[in-house]
Amino acid sequence: MKIFLALLLCLGSAAAQAGPPELEKDLQEIARVATVMVDGDVCERIMTERALKKMFTVDPKDPWAGSDNFDVNIEPYIQTKKTLIRLSRLVAYPVDCNLWMPFRENPRKIQVLIRNRYEMSQYWTFGQLHADMFPEMKEVLDTGKRIAVQKKGDILSVLTPVYNSLGDIVGLVEVVSRARFNAQENVK
Amino acid sequence: MKPMSDPRKILFFLLVLGLAPRGQELRCFSEYQRPDPFGGVVAPDRSGAGPEAAPATGPALRLQAARGGYVSFQLSASPSGPGPYSLRLDFAGAGNNLQADLFKAWFHRLEKSGELIPDALQPVSNPYAGAVPDPDNRVPGQTAQAFWVDLYLPLSARPGEYRGTATLESGGHRSEAVIQVTVLPASVPGTDVLLVDHNSYGTSWIADLYPKIREGAGTDFFGSDALYRLIHAYHRIFYEHRGTYHQLGYGHGGKVGPEFAPELAGTGKTRRVALWDRFDRHYAPLLDGSAFAGSRRGPAPIPFVYLTINPEWPASFLGWGEPGYEAEFTRVVGEMEKHFREKGWTRTRFEMFFNFKKRYKGFPWDGDEARFPKEDAFFLEMGRLLKKALPAETPVQFVFRNDASWRMEEQFRTLAGVVNFWICGKSILSFLPESVRAGRQRGDIIWSYSGPPSMKETSAAILENPLLAWIWGLDGYVHWQTVTPDRDPWFQSDGEAICLVYPGERFGLSEPIPSIRLKIQRNFIQDLDLLEQLGRGRPPDWIRTEVTRRINGKPASEWWTPRPPFADMPPFEWTNHSIGEGVDPSMQKYRNWPPGYWLEIRRFLYGQIEGGKQG
Repeated sequence: MKIFLALLLCLGSAAAQAGPPELEKDLQEIARVATVMVDGDVCERIMTERALKKMFTVDPKDPWAGSDNFDVNIEPYIQTKKTLIRLSRLVAYPVDCNLWMPFRENPRKIQVLIRNRYEMSQYWTFGQLHADMFPEMKEVLDTGKRIAVQKKGDILSVLTPVYNSLGDIVGLVEVVSRARFNAQENVK
Repeated sequence: MKPMSDPRKILFFLLVLGLAPRGQELRCFSEYQRPDPFGGVVAPDRSGAGPEAAPATGPALRLQAARGGYVSFQLSASPSGPGPYSLRLDFAGAGNNLQADLFKAWFHRLEKSGELIPDALQPVSNPYAGAVPDPDNRVPGQTAQAFWVDLYLPLSARPGEYRGTATLESGGHRSEAVIQVTVLPASVPGTDVLLVDHNSYGTSWIADLYPKIREGAGTDFFGSDALYRLIHAYHRIFYEHRGTYHQLGYGHGGKVGPEFAPELAGTGKTRRVALWDRFDRHYAPLLDGSAFAGSRRGPAPIPFVYLTINPEWPASFLGWGEPGYEAEFTRVVGEMEKHFREKGWTRTRFEMFFNFKKRYKGFPWDGDEARFPKEDAFFLEMGRLLKKALPAETPVQFVFRNDASWRMEEQFRTLAGVVNFWICGKSILSFLPESVRAGRQRGDIIWSYSGPPSMKETSAAILENPLLAWIWGLDGYVHWQTVTPDRDPWFQSDGEAICLVYPGERFGLSEPIPSIRLKIQRNFIQDLDLLEQLGRGRPPDWIRTEVTRRINGKPASEWWTPRPPFADMPPFEWTNHSIGEGVDPSMQKYRNWPPGYWLEIRRFLYGQIEGGKQG
């Protein structure tokens, strides 16, 4: 915890909104800390078994069944979300840390499982429960590398792996911000 | 060459050239028969309109109306040929007893079918000079222009008979329609028996719909007075149409728009309101009613308003379950109460409302349409915090709003005394009359929600949801989204099912313009107000049954649906399909009425008023 606070003090003094080179540097640093701090075992306990099952069961009579039955175990969710919020506070400008988790039974799919205040992401489409695996995310999950991605305007994401106690990569965090903050975006 | 002087020869000559003057015509239609651009009525409004809704056989119309409200009709002006025309409304003899507003209807081209349906109403001058075909609307072969006419009868209007005329002139021809208006001694109550709410989200759409104003405001449009003027204009248009307007100021992850909330500073026990500037610029005119000064209904505070309270504001979710969360929440909400009290904003209900769903991945419970019993714990905790933040005897009206569907029946019990404002999905509510009764008995506010009908449906479709809410004895009804036109509402519309007002910038206006659907709804709400007045002193369901019997022959008590078998399963096992199968067939009995059916009810209403049963 001491290391965490020291990092917070160090990075928190950054400019109100960093420009592109500084932005990537900040996000890389947050991502590095995220890989250390986010507990993969806890992340693996977030989804309920029932919701996981319903998510991929196609009900031709009810296209919303997956969404309506989406559910999480509250304690691991909150524990992880709080860590993600702390990570985003390592800088003094808006950053989101989103948790992405692949599906053990369906490795070609991935879902964002926890988003945060500003709802920034280069990958999430509003309302989408899960998505086809993104190549950059697959690379992070396969290799453990941290990858910086800028493919949507001025939004910059750094993808960083999340490990469980066995040393397996079980998910990733998208540390994301943008060069020009939009105060009205996603207020809806 | 000898000049042609024989009119028959001139006509023959024009016929040969295809330029013969058509028979110029000015026709009156009821509000439920939307004119098409060729002198007829749009297809959805043609059948089953009933004798009252049929176009007048001659250019004449008889109307009745109560004071303090509007009566409306439509005109179809077919000039003698392509080219300029003028239209004039003249109620000069009525003095100040009738005030006429003239609107030119826009014919929206539907993207898929190519049909042309009037809906957006551009306010125009009286007299109005235009051309057919309309150069802006660009309807090929257009022969007629539709107009909507609102006659406003002030409370001071003298009861009696009034006569007005509409005059069309084109190509040296002149046609006249006569409008007879009986002003009744009754007056429309100032407060509506059913509050119809028009919902929206955020402000980014305003910048998209008003690019000229946005550019004129420079780089800080969202901090400019121009933004607040537009927001207030949206409130005004809905208020003038006997409704109210909501604008949610936070997102699914808890991000708060700076124009919706006081600026905060500090964390933990130092969390506090730092600045009220933007909040007050936005809300003060709405909460003290001055935003509505000069309106016909007069200034009045908005009845309800969303607060930006959510699990991430004013307390950060980082502290959830810890003393810091409670400290941040209660300090800031307490400061809000104090600010509102000191400003005298005590006539508006301030809503703590949770709009997020788990599926949007921001929070671990469904604040909106909860489906699982474990989620009650969050509602109870937020209710506890709200109660703790407020002085026990505060005159400021904070309410805890819950938009309920799956667990509505359970939550009416498990959250009793915590939630006191319910917005209920109509399908599930339709089999829960006892829940409504219990909620009303303990003083809860209960509304239903759905969406506006597309303009492709019959003109009367806009009545369906508010009518049901009134029959069920609810306090209000919400159209969940009402300000978002299709990508091109003018020439490639999909029916505008989430849009009841249009951006006026196309017409040089820095405010929204109304739709035909909104005006039909307003006139209907006036009728409900009068009906309710008529029912006073009678058995509770008398007036509702007088209405329902005239629609489908059944008493109001039968306008609920039978409890379906799925209702006894846990709500998290229900599916949309099971609800559809279990409820929808029963709901057919109060759906899909022909255009103009409401005119029969209005005739009953005015008959009662004229018969002296209401003064």
